[in-house]
Amino acid sequence: MTATDPATPGRPVPLDPSLAPPGTRNFRDAGGIPADRWHADQNGETLVPTHCCFCGVQCGMYLRVDRHGKVFGVEPRNHDINRMRLCPKGINAYQQVNHPDRLTAPLMRRNRDEEFREVSWDEALDHTVAEIRRIQAEYGNDAFGLLGGASLYSEKTYLVGKFARVALRTRHVDYNGRLCMVSAAGANKLAFGIDRAGNPFSDILLTDCLLIAGSNVGECFPVMTQYLWGARDRGASLIVVDPRETAIARTADVHVAIRPGTDSAFFNAVLHVVVAEGLTDEAYLAAHTTGWDEVKRTVADHPPARSAEICGVPEQQIVQVARMFAGADKAMAWHARGVEHHSQGVENCLSIINLCAATGNIGKPGAGYGTITGQGNGQGGREHGQKSDLLPGGRSITNPEHRRQICEIWGIDETELPPAGTSMMEMVWQMQRQEIRGLVGICNNPFVSLPNYATVKDGYDTLEFHAQFDFFLSETAANAHVVFPVTVWAEDEGVMANAEARVVKHNKAQEPPAGVRTDTWVICELAKRLGAGDKFAFPDSRSVFEELRIASAGTVNDYYGITYERLEETGGIAWPCPSTDHPGTPRLFENGRTYHPDGKIHMQVVEWHPPMDPYSEEYPLSLTTGRTVAHFLSGNQTRRLGALVEQTPRPWVEVHPSHGFRNGEPVRVVTRRGSEVFPALVTEAIRPDTVFVPYHWPVPTAANALTIDALDPRSKIPEYKVCAARIEAAERIDEVPAPPTAPGHQAYPETQVSRTDPLPPTSPQGRGTAERS
Amino acid sequence: MRLYRDRVTEPPQTAEPTPVPGPAPGPAPGPAAADGTTPQTPAAVRRRAALTGAAVSALLILAIVLGSRLLRDFDSALLPYAVATVFLAFGVAYRYTVWISAPGARRLFRQGWRSFFSAANFRTAPTALPKMIATYLGFQKFLGARSHARWAAHQLIFWGCLLAAAITFPLTWGWFTFTSDSGSGPGYEMRIWGFKIIGFDALNAVGWLMFHGLDIAAVLVIAGASYFLWRRMKDRGAITGQRFAYDLVPLIALIVISVTGLLLTFSSIFLHGGGYEFLAILHMVTVVFTLIYIPFGKFFHIVQRPAAVGMQLFKYTARRKDDDEILTCRRCHEPIDTAPYVENLQGTMRDLDLGFDTWTEYCPRCKRVLRGTAYLDHVKKGFN
Amino acid sequence: MMGRTIFIDPGRCIGCQACVSACRECDSHRGKSMIHLDYPDEGHSVASLPTVCMHCEDPVAPCAEVCPADAILVTADGVVQQADTTRCIGCANCVNACPFGVPKIDLQAKLQMKCNLCYDRTAYGLAPMCATVCPTGALFYGTLDELRAERPGVQVADSFTFGSTTVSTGVAMVVPADKVQWPVPGGLPVVEINGRDVSEANSNKGGGGRREGVR
Repeated sequence: MTATDPATPGRPVPLDPSLAPPGTRNFRDAGGIPADRWHADQNGETLVPTHCCFCGVQCGMYLRVDRHGKVFGVEPRNHDINRMRLCPKGINAYQQVNHPDRLTAPLMRRNRDEEFREVSWDEALDHTVAEIRRIQAEYGNDAFGLLGGASLYSEKTYLVGKFARVALRTRHVDYNGRLCMVSAAGANKLAFGIDRAGNPFSDILLTDCLLIAGSNVGECFPVMTQYLWGARDRGASLIVVDPRETAIARTADVHVAIRPGTDSAFFNAVLHVVVAEGLTDEAYLAAHTTGWDEVKRTVADHPPARSAEICGVPEQQIVQVARMFAGADKAMAWHARGVEHHSQGVENCLSIINLCAATGNIGKPGAGYGTITGQGNGQGGREHGQKSDLLPGGRSITNPEHRRQICEIWGIDETELPPAGTSMMEMVWQMQRQEIRGLVGICNNPFVSLPNYATVKDGYDTLEFHAQFDFFLSETAANAHVVFPVTVWAEDEGVMANAEARVVKHNKAQEPPAGVRTDTWVICELAKRLGAGDKFAFPDSRSVFEELRIASAGTVNDYYGITYERLEETGGIAWPCPSTDHPGTPRLFENGRTYHPDGKIHMQVVEWHPPMDPYSEEYPLSLTTGRTVAHFLSGNQTRRLGALVEQTPRPWVEVHPSHGFRNGEPVRVVTRRGSEVFPALVTEAIRPDTVFVPYHWPVPTAANALTIDALDPRSKIPEYKVCAARIEAAERIDEVPAPPTAPGHQAYPETQVSRTDPLPPTSPQGRGTAERS
Repeated sequence: MRLYRDRVTEPPQTAEPTPVPGPAPGPAPGPAAADGTTPQTPAAVRRRAALTGAAVSALLILAIVLGSRLLRDFDSALLPYAVATVFLAFGVAYRYTVWISAPGARRLFRQGWRSFFSAANFRTAPTALPKMIATYLGFQKFLGARSHARWAAHQLIFWGCLLAAAITFPLTWGWFTFTSDSGSGPGYEMRIWGFKIIGFDALNAVGWLMFHGLDIAAVLVIAGASYFLWRRMKDRGAITGQRFAYDLVPLIALIVISVTGLLLTFSSIFLHGGGYEFLAILHMVTVVFTLIYIPFGKFFHIVQRPAAVGMQLFKYTARRKDDDEILTCRRCHEPIDTAPYVENLQGTMRDLDLGFDTWTEYCPRCKRVLRGTAYLDHVKKGFN
Repeated sequence: MMGRTIFIDPGRCIGCQACVSACRECDSHRGKSMIHLDYPDEGHSVASLPTVCMHCEDPVAPCAEVCPADAILVTADGVVQQADTTRCIGCANCVNACPFGVPKIDLQAKLQMKCNLCYDRTAYGLAPMCATVCPTGALFYGTLDELRAERPGVQVADSFTFGSTTVSTGVAMVVPADKVQWPVPGGLPVVEINGRDVSEANSNKGGGGRREGVR
């Protein structure tokens, strides 16, 4: 807390002698908009229905548009996903649209020693295409890579995959969903043959027991909390598995504060108790599953006593969770990155699926299983071919039949379709080895979001050519050769699929600023200049969506029955939706059949192994990373919004009081990959053997300079959620750098006022309103 | 749907004693006991206010009679205006008395004047008060912090009205006279209370300004009031909260006065007096209405605003003494305000029988945190 | 007493501060947030407490009573408005008198501001911005019956104790069923016992103000 200045002796009293106590006097106007320019003009205001650009809940909202066609505000919208509720990110999202930091002209430089200069679109596009041709001619097509993102509309993610395979003809395409929920995707495919959550959010209201594993719902999916509370209002019990006592864990019936990286050991033991106490649903298992015997044999080796030791939780708690979950009439499990961001992420998810299947809690109202996708289009972004191993409609690029179908739709010869590529982190290693020499990045910021920053920086620096698409200059784009200024979500239309696999439509609320183009336009222009213009004749999102519908028809991820008109009428349709009179499929497996050919749940044996970064005397603690409510992913958007910066200006290290630090003291967090100094947020709400750092900030305040780039062998997700670390007292706190901007600009100062505040927030959710400077 | 303007009452309606009675019917104030002073019943306050009003009105009448040299200089055509100013004087005095009879205002009123008459203050900081008056009352810097546009518009109205009042009030009271030796100019002299102040030529710049001062004032007021009126028609925040009588009538009145005033000039110069009589009557009616309205509506802030200077001076005086005059929160030790100010507030709260006056020694944040802690400890900690 | 009003349940609050950002979006607040969000259990848990104006009914609006400029008006249905811009002199009497710590003050603008229950929205039949967006229902706007329809059996209390004084309010807080007849403790610590300052024992951070026992 900052002391105000009482009249210090010797200083003259100001003519205005007014004082006011803390928290009563500071009004920071939203986004730095001066009060007298606050828009309260109601004449000619229109409300454009759309959804939030941020997380996988996809709350409905209206954007307020003034007479001149400019977005100037937000109004809650009674969409049935969120019922008018919004989180602080959603409320402030609109301020991105006409933000002074927006890029409005292509930026270019020949090498990284030069400053960026603004160039024409033609010059930027021609230079990019020339570099693509040069690198591919010299080193082969696969020497050029493409990285997409899961905050793009599904149409654009489809284009990313198609552009890589058809225009660039490279195998190296992947996307930042690889850093998000691919472990759940892998587990879903293995167990169910379909990659999505099994139940809609509304089923949560019907359940009797809700298990949330590794998800800080209150901060990462705030609006989803209403479903948790709604279930509890109706008598459901709540179990939260999380190393930290988060806002939902604080009041949960059971909070299992497990040691990071031990999830599958815990869930195996829970299943052990379920089996031992005869709480399994043997009839369901016999009728609907395969592999139960093997699973049962494995969990027999995981008695609670053993797992209690591994997980650092009381043995009794394991028994309690087993009885509560298996004893409930209808139980439901949801998980998120906490169990997925591990070198055993797929196994962790499978161990939860095993628990649900063994208790017969699959595919019923109020009973089921799901993953909560982190990015706005985390679900839709992984479905239509921007993953290294997938083609549109969730088809496998290694399946000859799938390849043939897609080649037919795209009108190319099968030999022209490249084979499967590698994952995002592996591509960075290939950049270091100069196997990939050129890269286009669209809608991602790996300098903040990938683990082990030193490796990432080295990989990108080794690239001979690097172009990024973005609307704000991200830390990654600031290191590129070419930056294309593209639209924000409110300047184009398109669809996204939320965590329920409900496809929702975002509408265009305003025209892009002069000089800004849609991602679709840029991709199609590049394709045209690469000689594939006939395959990329898309004037707008709608035309891409029409091709996407056809490309997904007949697959598991069937979008054929979804049209823009239907989405506008209904407010969202859950795929699979094979025909235009099909109502969509909000709940899966209702007929007891999965999407495997045999219709069974394929239960998988899960063995726990320790995290990849070994503990030692030097590194005795677990470092875990995650999000805070005011910021989103790499922070390129939220670190520019005044209200969010004011709420949470900087990262911190959350430590237990037993380490002897006091709030705000500089603490150095050291891992085998690096060390950084954060202010301590001392709280009893974290395990003594664990420290937490939120990851939204760039170096020198980047959690991902510390994390390990170990991958899950199946999903290739990095192990963000646990690495070995130690903490020590330090001298000085590392300051948060200003977000990068185009040359000649500075980050809008009014939004950055609090950024250099060296203190940690009052609580992980941010600074209290009275603690703001 | 409830419309805000239907819901507003003024002032707080309650069975309890309220600080101040409004012009609207309602219970008048009555602090049950005010440290040492005699208890005031609403009736007593009203009686005193009426007496004060009558006295001030009588004084004004006396001043008019004497200032117009026993009505020799009094222009009988302006009689309605003069009568209206007498009513204005009564109203302002009445409302003022009632206002400062309420505990909050009374205590601040006393403290403000005590600081004003403080010899020490005058000795050590002679410029403080004039500077405050210039900043708060003249240039109204605080309005700029609210909105630059509103500040500019308010300045236009403020200086316009001040100019108009400075010209018209003495004229209606017969204190100013303009006489010409020749009977019809162009050489004029201006007299106050019969004493010659300046002589000027009606045809030169000074003369033009003298004769067109009111037109200049009207232009300023029209510009400012039109901005406010326009804003009140388009600003969503302003629209929902505004009440016709309180927010719109004053603006309309100002505009009508100014426009009719300008039209009078226009009529005499260009129309050879066409429509003059009708305009004159309309002008007079609006002016009289506005003068009588001043004590009872939005314009009363003109009378109240100097209290801001009193309040500033009170806090300023306390802070000049030494550092210890700042009271800090008992829990977090952050400054709250000057100690005499907090003591004054505690007195006010005791006058009003608000039994939590010691709570003022905690800052608002600590009040909330302590309440939150108490809720967690004694009511419920978690979800249920 | 209670018509359509805000019901506060800190037990549901996740401290996300959506209310704080939403408060700015109300046209009548002009980009300024007036709601308070505190983390009273700092260092122990992530518990949080949102504070809107409680719209005191008895005694009616202490903020308005102590106002020297009659700037704070109360509507017929009990909504305590923020200071009238033409009258407020920025003295901060209301800021320090409010037992709930609600009003804020803009020292440069000489203007108090506080929660006005979003009159620009309630006038048109909408809920206040904070209660509209609150992701958890920790802030709920409606009637008690509407609240009970969503949360069966919920109990609320609308009186608060400060020492020996009880303040009853227009805004209510959710309490467990066995506490419904109790006034909710307002948090005023015992400051003096028999003339001895005991505030040390009652405060988290210890110590009294620089001046003791002003009274």
